[in-house]
Amino acid sequence: MASIAFTVNGQQVTVDVEPDTPLLWVLRDTLGLTGTKYSCGVGACGACTVHLDGQPIRSCVTSVSAVEGKAITTIEGLSPDGSHPLQQAWIELNVPQCGYCQPGQIMTAAALLEKTQNPTDDEIDAAMSDNLCRCGTYQRIRHAIHRAAELLGGEQ
Amino acid sequence: MSTYSKSTRRDFLKASALVGTGLVLGFRLPDAGSVSAATTDYPVVNLALQPAGFVPNAYLGIDPDGVVTVQVHRSEMGQGVNTALPMIIAEELEADWSLIRIVQSPADRIYGSQVTGGSQSIQSSYDTLRRAGAAARMMLIAAAAQLWDVSPDECYAQNGTVIHEASGQQFSYGELVETAAALPVPERGDLVLKDPADFRIIGTRQGNLDNPAYVDGSAVFASDIQLPGMLVAAVEHCPWTGGRAASFDASAAEAVAGVRHVISINGDRGIAVVADTTWAALKGRELLQVEWERGNPEMNTDDLRQQLLDRFELANTPDVIEAIYEVSYMAHASMEPMVCVADVREDHCEVWAPTQDRQGARDAARSLSGMGNDAITIHVPLIGGAFGRRLENDYVSEAVAISQAVGAPVKLFWTREDDMRNDYYHPMVAAYLSAPQSSPTSIQGRGGEAVGLRTGAWRSVGEHPEAFARECFVDEVAEATGRDPLTFRLLLNAGTPRQAVLELAAEKAGWGSPLPDGWGRGIAVHSTFDITHVAQVAEVSVSDSGRIRVHRVVCAVDCGTVINPDLVEAQMEGGIVFGLTAALYSQITVKDGRVQQGNFYDYPLLRMDEMPEIEVYFVPSDRSPTGVGEMGVPPTAPAVFNAVYAATGKRLRHLPVQPEDLQ
Repeated sequence: MASIAFTVNGQQVTVDVEPDTPLLWVLRDTLGLTGTKYSCGVGACGACTVHLDGQPIRSCVTSVSAVEGKAITTIEGLSPDGSHPLQQAWIELNVPQCGYCQPGQIMTAAALLEKTQNPTDDEIDAAMSDNLCRCGTYQRIRHAIHRAAELLGGEQ
Repeated sequence: MSTYSKSTRRDFLKASALVGTGLVLGFRLPDAGSVSAATTDYPVVNLALQPAGFVPNAYLGIDPDGVVTVQVHRSEMGQGVNTALPMIIAEELEADWSLIRIVQSPADRIYGSQVTGGSQSIQSSYDTLRRAGAAARMMLIAAAAQLWDVSPDECYAQNGTVIHEASGQQFSYGELVETAAALPVPERGDLVLKDPADFRIIGTRQGNLDNPAYVDGSAVFASDIQLPGMLVAAVEHCPWTGGRAASFDASAAEAVAGVRHVISINGDRGIAVVADTTWAALKGRELLQVEWERGNPEMNTDDLRQQLLDRFELANTPDVIEAIYEVSYMAHASMEPMVCVADVREDHCEVWAPTQDRQGARDAARSLSGMGNDAITIHVPLIGGAFGRRLENDYVSEAVAISQAVGAPVKLFWTREDDMRNDYYHPMVAAYLSAPQSSPTSIQGRGGEAVGLRTGAWRSVGEHPEAFARECFVDEVAEATGRDPLTFRLLLNAGTPRQAVLELAAEKAGWGSPLPDGWGRGIAVHSTFDITHVAQVAEVSVSDSGRIRVHRVVCAVDCGTVINPDLVEAQMEGGIVFGLTAALYSQITVKDGRVQQGNFYDYPLLRMDEMPEIEVYFVPSDRSPTGVGEMGVPPTAPAVFNAVYAATGKRLRHLPVQPEDLQ
């Protein structure tokens, strides 16, 4: 066991866990932040996507020791009240079906919009194609990212 | 508005059943114990308590604030029942949609079958839910009439209020709760349903009620349940299908910090490592030393395929048009793997099961625990995809058995590999189709399934291989007899409901209009379970390396009355993506008795950069609503393969397309 300190959603946390524990399980089992999902365990589906210092990472293949001193943002911390433009657009366009992959989809999309304010379809393809959705919500995800970009533009 | 509110006071004096003998018990209060037991100290947002107040039947309750809580008796797995079923109740109840809340019902025979499969949820409960809402509405009107001392005939309900027509006086539903609760329930024969022309909720686009929870991470799936003192179990299943453990050495696993128990389960078919955390359970499992008795180490899909093909003999004569079509074993691969939480105590068993069959889950818990139904509580949290896999309750049995053995609440956790290698697979299928050259509409077919892996229901079950084989063959016959694929289909389907969906899909797709060089267009039509009719037109191109790119799919659907067009479109979109994944990728193979695939890198799913434009159109219908959960799937693969032929001149007869097919 090791004591590892990092920031989650703006809050300083210190956890006593095996240092090789994937961040995913620290978030879910230790910190109770269950919005971040397990689906493949090998970084092949994107369901576990969180931000590490603003960059999207796969928390299922990132050991907690690697995030010591860093800032993690999970779906629970994307906005204080579920009002991020992506969350608004996801609801407006009724994107989710089973909903299980959607936190990972939204976190990946949020990183895209941070970098690219008004992404093209090709840029959406490049950013989002490693996030799998078995329900097949891709078309709505694409439209919702464009819609969120519009909402963001409106705020400027 | 009063056309459906013509009840008389006398009606309410008769207490009787609402929806037939099976639901006589439906008018007791929902069993508070089964809904609320132990739902106290962990985050279970979608398992809220039934409110106090007016609870006229097993499907809804209204509290003094006017909040309507709907008991959803079928499982929500992405198909939208948590929204669509309340819409039906709210319609007849004349409820204010913004005041609708949902809870998932317990397993109870009061609801009849709660199996969530066969695209049945709406079609089998539409009438019942309408009556449940209508009964409550009539009782609320009667309550208001009693308070005003007027006849119910002078009152009507609208948007969560009862209005006295002459005076304009109003009561909100919340204000009527106490009075209505004391009134008898109207008899079934006295219920007055709304005229569909007056529908204001059914037929509208409503977003999923669970959306806010889905997008902020607060939605509770079984994976997310945390109980005090809960352990996590990872099970090492025999990698040889049908095999079991001869012996095992747990010492290294037990030495992992946090591992509490290592036990054999299910007749030695699996070894469970039970630990404080998921990671400890997984690390412990990796260190297990197991001597396996191999199940069927001779099993190979190549052999199974050959045995299947040997059943068919080709006529090999120019008088007969004939072909053999094949479908591989496929996994369900829901994004949430199998998981289940069980807490088996001395006198009570509580289970959080992401199941399509909660009554089956209860039966499994009963047979393992020896307890009666009254001692067993099944919660059905939100489900991260199901597609037929969760009609089986094998993982529920595992969780119950492990909790019982270790005497603690247990979350059974399957990895992706566990999920993919312990599925009830779509069967491996082959079908032989033929038609006489002289009578090309006389298409005959017969098919068979391989006997190898265990199989189960996979979204649209046998409809998928049937539509694939028939609709590809129809194109082959059309070509052999010099006809256009659409024209020939209109001939074959003339006078059936398939004619209208074919015509609509063809029109919207611009059938016959020019496409870019190298593209092809294909069409297919299918009536799934004989009730929902779907036609699709696909536009594809094929790269020099033989890679299929699907650009556009136009879908026309006749599903009777549409409860929520947005949800139907979503199910068509999802069904098409499911069908595309099956056409392009899905293949489970077995070598020397072991399933070879394990994760998304060797069992890929369609991705965002491969997503076609999908358009969905409705054939208007006033039939009762049918079903849509599976119906988008069957036409997709044949439409795409027919389009590939149009683009390349190559016939594909095997699902999924094989790498060598187009090179």
